[in-house]
Amino acid sequence: MTASVVFFYAFAALAVVSALGMVLNLRNTVASAMSLVVTMVALAGIYVLLEAHIVAVFQIMVYAGAIIVLFLFVVMLLNLRTDAFSPGRQKLVKLAATLIAFVVLAELLRVLTTGLPEAQPLPEGYGGYAQVGVALYTDYVLLVEVSGLLLLAAIVGALILAKRDIG
Amino acid sequence: MSFPDLNFSVLAPIGFVAVGAMVVLMGEVFLSRARTFLGREITEAWIGSMLALTSIVFLALAIYAAWAAFAAGSSAVFNPDNPMLRLDSFSALVSGVIALASLLSCALAIAYLADLRINHGEFYALVLLATAGMLLMVAAVDLLVVFLGLELMSIPIYVLAGFDRRKLRSNESALKYFVIGSFASAVLLYGMALLYGTAGATSFEAIRAGFDAESPMALIGLGLVVVGFAFKISSVPFHQWTPDVYEGAPSVVTAFMSVTVKIAAFATLMRLLALAFGGLGATLVDVLWVLAALTIFVGNVMAIIQENVKRLLAYSSVAHAGYLLIGFVTGTIEGYTAVLFYLFIYLFMNLGAFGVVVALAHRGQECERVESFAGLARSRPGLAALMTLFMISLAGIPGTAGFIAKFVVFSAAVKAGVIWLTILGVLMSVVSIYYYLRIPVLMYMKEPAEDAEFAEVSSGEALVLGLCAAAVLCFGILPNDLTLPLLGKLRLLDWAQESVKLLLGA
Repeated sequence: MTASVVFFYAFAALAVVSALGMVLNLRNTVASAMSLVVTMVALAGIYVLLEAHIVAVFQIMVYAGAIIVLFLFVVMLLNLRTDAFSPGRQKLVKLAATLIAFVVLAELLRVLTTGLPEAQPLPEGYGGYAQVGVALYTDYVLLVEVSGLLLLAAIVGALILAKRDIG
Repeated sequence: MSFPDLNFSVLAPIGFVAVGAMVVLMGEVFLSRARTFLGREITEAWIGSMLALTSIVFLALAIYAAWAAFAAGSSAVFNPDNPMLRLDSFSALVSGVIALASLLSCALAIAYLADLRINHGEFYALVLLATAGMLLMVAAVDLLVVFLGLELMSIPIYVLAGFDRRKLRSNESALKYFVIGSFASAVLLYGMALLYGTAGATSFEAIRAGFDAESPMALIGLGLVVVGFAFKISSVPFHQWTPDVYEGAPSVVTAFMSVTVKIAAFATLMRLLALAFGGLGATLVDVLWVLAALTIFVGNVMAIIQENVKRLLAYSSVAHAGYLLIGFVTGTIEGYTAVLFYLFIYLFMNLGAFGVVVALAHRGQECERVESFAGLARSRPGLAALMTLFMISLAGIPGTAGFIAKFVVFSAAVKAGVIWLTILGVLMSVVSIYYYLRIPVLMYMKEPAEDAEFAEVSSGEALVLGLCAAAVLCFGILPNDLTLPLLGKLRLLDWAQESVKLLLGA
């Protein structure tokens, strides 16, 4: 049993436990959201084991960082009470969640029974920082610059709407 | 690794606008810190006009760059290895027109913002950033650039709609536009992802080559992209946001977005249809036919019952989107030319109509109700005459540019055999005369209700309104051979036709 297999089981167990923790924790929405963070970080660990370093970094930045912060903001700003989660209101949500879970399960079973295709060796450095960086600053340099403008517009907009003194 | 041979001249119009936005942002910081400038006292109003002037200069440079590219008739891509942006005669022409609309909006805004005491430099920076997004969109030859351009256009406009933060309706307008606009962007992005899935690449060329009209994934993707754009051009049934957003936003923002967003979205849709969905005429025509018919009908009927001028003009802009869609249904060079020509004329008449509403605003009390126009011919004869001119042009009465625009669209449709839609369009234009002429009737034949107090018309507003009125009159009489000193001969129809021919590769 090599070290990477040990790490894989550790991260996988952490992901499963924290995912269960998120779903079963009905009282405290903030704790639920924090469990989701742990799940996301554990998944990022598995990506690192697969040598998909950049995907792992994005996983942490986007999911564990931005999206969870958004969740926490919504939870805190809306200040949801337990009656918002009363059984009557949740019926439809539960039904939809069960349906989606079954679809995912069926898909998973199909993949497991038919077997995965043989893994192809990737070219040297594929998906690494160097290659992504070169692509971003040669073929996609325009899009990088435009994203910068977009962020500038968003920052200026947020400041105008939130910070300017109301005259 | 080798660095690609980038052609930065392609970026000229966008670059001027984007740099202008940053200059305005930094300029406000420095000007508001200084007490005096060249020996004179700095006031807030002076800073506002200076920043507006800076934006106007940068927009004029962008117009000049676009015009130079159009006059050269060349077609250049930014990055030869991965052509994402192409400045050809179509995108150069449309870029120039969009920049002109933004320039006029900036001139219109100076006095209005000072009057409302929301004279912040960020207004001009956001207008310039939104313009940069539009210029990117209309020059794109790749779905990624279309999407980024669309977002760069939309995000500043969401903020601008809520620019008057003290007004609840302005906040509501911004939030509504933001939520619905984000939803539309998501739909568009989903459609683009599916198209990418079928073609394996995001460039227009690859999508055209790899599109399989039999595959459901490609058709769903195509449908979602069309729906995303239908939101932006406010085509029925995706128009519900339009009246609320147009009503709540500050009038000058409504003027800006009602014109520029429509031109940019229609031009991009045209580019997509011509370059990416080239061989799809038959698949899309029925969809566009239904959209056009619904848009013309609902827009005109709903406009009749409006009591608020901005809502009335919002539904009128919905109706005009319908007339423009007729040109898309034809799928011919004449039809596309007509759409492009109609967009140019629409710029002047719609900006003029909203400009009058802007000029009538006084200390935050906007002259918005239709009744408040009663007797205006006595108290404000100049503005009443201008409003009448823009209204009869929007209605499409001969002698104005609005008539020529409608005539060009309808004649292209008849030539292409789109008869029933043309009949509907003509009939609903007749209906539209009722609600457009209601305002002149109130202005000239009713006594004013109370002694309303109005602000003086500022020089910026007078300039914009005068220019729009001159354009509506001159292009109404000489649409294709108006000769001006300095500018030479303005051949709007020929220019539109030339660029559409090159776009369609005919």
